[in-house]
Amino acid sequence: MEISFELNGEPVTVTVEPYMSLVDMLRAEMDVKSVKKGCEQGECGACTLLIDGAPVTSCLVLAPQVEGRHVTTIEGLEKNSLMIDLREAFIENGAVQCGFCTPGMLLSAYALLRDNPHPSMEEVKMGIEGNICRCTGFTKIIEAILDAVERIAPE
Amino acid sequence: MEYDKILSDILGREDFLVVGKNVVRTDALDKALGKAMYTADYVPRGTTLLKVYRSTVPHARIKSVDTAEALELPGVEAIYTGADVTGNNQIGYALPDQPFLNDEKVHYIGDPVALVCARDEYALEKAFQKISVEYEELPAMLDIDVSLSEDAVDIHEGGNIALTTRIRKGDAEKGFSEADVEVEETYWSPYQDHMYIETEAAYAVPEHGKVTVICNGQSPFLVREKVAHVLGWSLNQVRIIQALAGGAFGGKDDQGPLVSAYAAFAATKLGKPVALVWDRPESVSYSNKRFPARIKYRSGATEEGKVTAVEVDITLECGAYANRSPFWLWRQTAHAAGPYEVDNCSVDGRAVYTNKVYGGSFRGFGDLALHFAAETQMERLAYELSMDPIEFRLRNVLKVGSRTTCDQVLDHSVGLEQCLKAVRDASDWSSHREPVWEGSKVRGYGVGLAYHGISTSRSTPDWSAASILLNQDGSLTYRTGIVEIGQGSPFGHIKIVSEIIGVPPENIRIELPDTDSTLNAKPTHGSRGLMLGGTAAAKAALTLRENMVACASELFEVPYERIALVEGRAYDKEDPETSVSVRELAEEMYNRGYDPGAYGYFKAPKRFFDPETGLGVNYSVYTFAATVGEVEVDTETGETSVIRVWPAMDCGKAIDPLMIEGQIEGSISQGMGFALMENMELKDGLVINPGFKDYIVPSSMDTPQIEPCIIVEEPYRHGAFGAKGVGEPAIISVVPTITSAIHHATGLWFNTIPVRPWTMHKALKEAEP
Repeated sequence: MEISFELNGEPVTVTVEPYMSLVDMLRAEMDVKSVKKGCEQGECGACTLLIDGAPVTSCLVLAPQVEGRHVTTIEGLEKNSLMIDLREAFIENGAVQCGFCTPGMLLSAYALLRDNPHPSMEEVKMGIEGNICRCTGFTKIIEAILDAVERIAPE
Repeated sequence: MEYDKILSDILGREDFLVVGKNVVRTDALDKALGKAMYTADYVPRGTTLLKVYRSTVPHARIKSVDTAEALELPGVEAIYTGADVTGNNQIGYALPDQPFLNDEKVHYIGDPVALVCARDEYALEKAFQKISVEYEELPAMLDIDVSLSEDAVDIHEGGNIALTTRIRKGDAEKGFSEADVEVEETYWSPYQDHMYIETEAAYAVPEHGKVTVICNGQSPFLVREKVAHVLGWSLNQVRIIQALAGGAFGGKDDQGPLVSAYAAFAATKLGKPVALVWDRPESVSYSNKRFPARIKYRSGATEEGKVTAVEVDITLECGAYANRSPFWLWRQTAHAAGPYEVDNCSVDGRAVYTNKVYGGSFRGFGDLALHFAAETQMERLAYELSMDPIEFRLRNVLKVGSRTTCDQVLDHSVGLEQCLKAVRDASDWSSHREPVWEGSKVRGYGVGLAYHGISTSRSTPDWSAASILLNQDGSLTYRTGIVEIGQGSPFGHIKIVSEIIGVPPENIRIELPDTDSTLNAKPTHGSRGLMLGGTAAAKAALTLRENMVACASELFEVPYERIALVEGRAYDKEDPETSVSVRELAEEMYNRGYDPGAYGYFKAPKRFFDPETGLGVNYSVYTFAATVGEVEVDTETGETSVIRVWPAMDCGKAIDPLMIEGQIEGSISQGMGFALMENMELKDGLVINPGFKDYIVPSSMDTPQIEPCIIVEEPYRHGAFGAKGVGEPAIISVVPTITSAIHHATGLWFNTIPVRPWTMHKALKEAEP
């Protein structure tokens, strides 16, 4: 079937089987490889992306469900100022090790800070609860997100 | 040459440029942009997919395999069984007990029986339903005691004991006769899954008489060896390109070669590219786990607090195959007394087959289970003696001049005592000697120590190699076979190179390991990546530096000794105005005949090991660690949380303190998971919790407050700038620290991990008066 949606601000139309998951459509049909597959159970968070701005594990979404919606992956926020602050904070705080969870983690962190620019540490932990990182033990990721809060330019 | 003195003896400087400083990793930006490529990301659209068809019974003889109906299905391209293997159908690492494709017997639920190639996952699934295997089932040995019982059925020819180990040091019985107190307990530590977020994968592309495999192993040259072995080809017909790995923790060291061999085998048979990407249930159910171990431990000490003897009996559960168990069991045997000097040690070990998923490499490699037992014994002895657990440990810890369990004399680089005193003081230990109650919750403090021999065990020759190329424009290309699995060792290498040739790390590009152009660095395991690989990098850099200095010396017409290389320039120390950029220098080197390429080969000092007595110099050097931790036990729910941790480590020399902290924090999380949460559940040999839903790993919500790591630097003279390995030593003390704190809080001893809420709840109920 044919699906039309907006990917990172660009309208796209793809032909897929109706039972294909969103992560598979993006990776296999559209070469969007930043969306990682880690569990296909909605548990690890590696495939996190934004649908109409909300963080979602794309392995639990069927491709036809994004018809007419706005899908944002990490590529779409490359030049976004909040994402730049987050990215730099991640890099400088040692929050990136193997990097496999990083795109999904950054997208969850982005959604958190966009909606709550001054989160407490507990709120940061809750904001990334759905993203598993097996390398860092989360400490540097949490520190990086709190550091990004400091970096955000006042409006 | 003493590699810890490169700075003063060769570079003639007092201060480091980049070593010891936190420098932003050069690979972090691509990873944060989502542009970093992992194995599955290289697979083009439309590539033939491969899936391993596995046994559904734990122990059986294969009577027949019928694939005819499956082969008729649309989209199914080929199915291969053991009969198709024309090279070698034997892939056991240490013992020849593991078939590549099982054609006679299966030994666990998940044993590979056939390789199915199809155009997509749906065709694969249909094919799986149509393959039929007729088994003659055999009794399943699902427990080490069943495997060892008199009426046990042999899993492999030669019986169910894969190997035994033994150490006799001093006279254990004499030691116990001198002891005033004795404790004897049996400990059990179970399987642990690596749960790297990226599953096992390989993508193989065949050409005439050659195959290229992109994969996520940990030892590209071992991958090459296994692939060539299975195909019956020579090494130069196989090219392995190691992609970035999305976590590995040892697991991919064992699985990488196998997954690559399946993909390469199918691709060469089929004559077209093939991709094999495991799904999560496959990864959890069928790949190697941390080996379970039962450790019976008897210790004795005098009233003065000196440990006089230990008697340790280790039963390691191999599962279906020996895999790396000989190395694992020897490591446990050689470290059996823990990080203490004990004059009388008697250690026996055996590795036992069962019809379950096999164990294998995992961060800490045997020392986790061993230290859980050894450290809990130390706690119990301290308790029996009414001594402070840290004070008791300080009376026994390994120091310079001490002899280890295997009678190895530690002649330098032993910083354990400093680590222990540092965490004692940082945590204000003496003010926290009483548990603190608040409502139903109680908090306690615990301590744990660790030592871990770096690199491979026993007297296996150990070496590494690396190469650097100075390009005409002054940029540099660095090649190492040490792989990037998150830990950042290759970046540590280029910091070492940068320090020596005075060119910033960002000018040095790290190429992916490619066996056609990279020198063999030997595996990325045993915490050897930085220590061995980095010293090879240092040797290469020293050679390149000589050429750079010689060229600059000719150019400036001043003696060699007057040339300095810093910040991307060469200059005359007596006249700093006389200088050239590395770009100009590179051009001159090409034109004047100075070799712009260098390789470094580093051979670790020769060791000695006697397999009869178990005594000898088992490891070149040890890394030491100490942690103090605070836990909170909710006596109503039984839930245990780690609140705060104070870590310290003697890493010889911290090449990058931030990255060491990253290893330590990650280890605390992974160790906490093992101590309190993670457990593989098996029913009749089948893993019944094969995913993140039911196999619970720590999340951000479980993260304790981790204090800045105290870094102790007792340099190792055969490691670049004195550095020793870090990745594994970081996890070993975590489990006993947690169980020690649990005991402090609740008075309960736990000899089995994990201590999950229901286990704690039950123990609390039983302890009620």
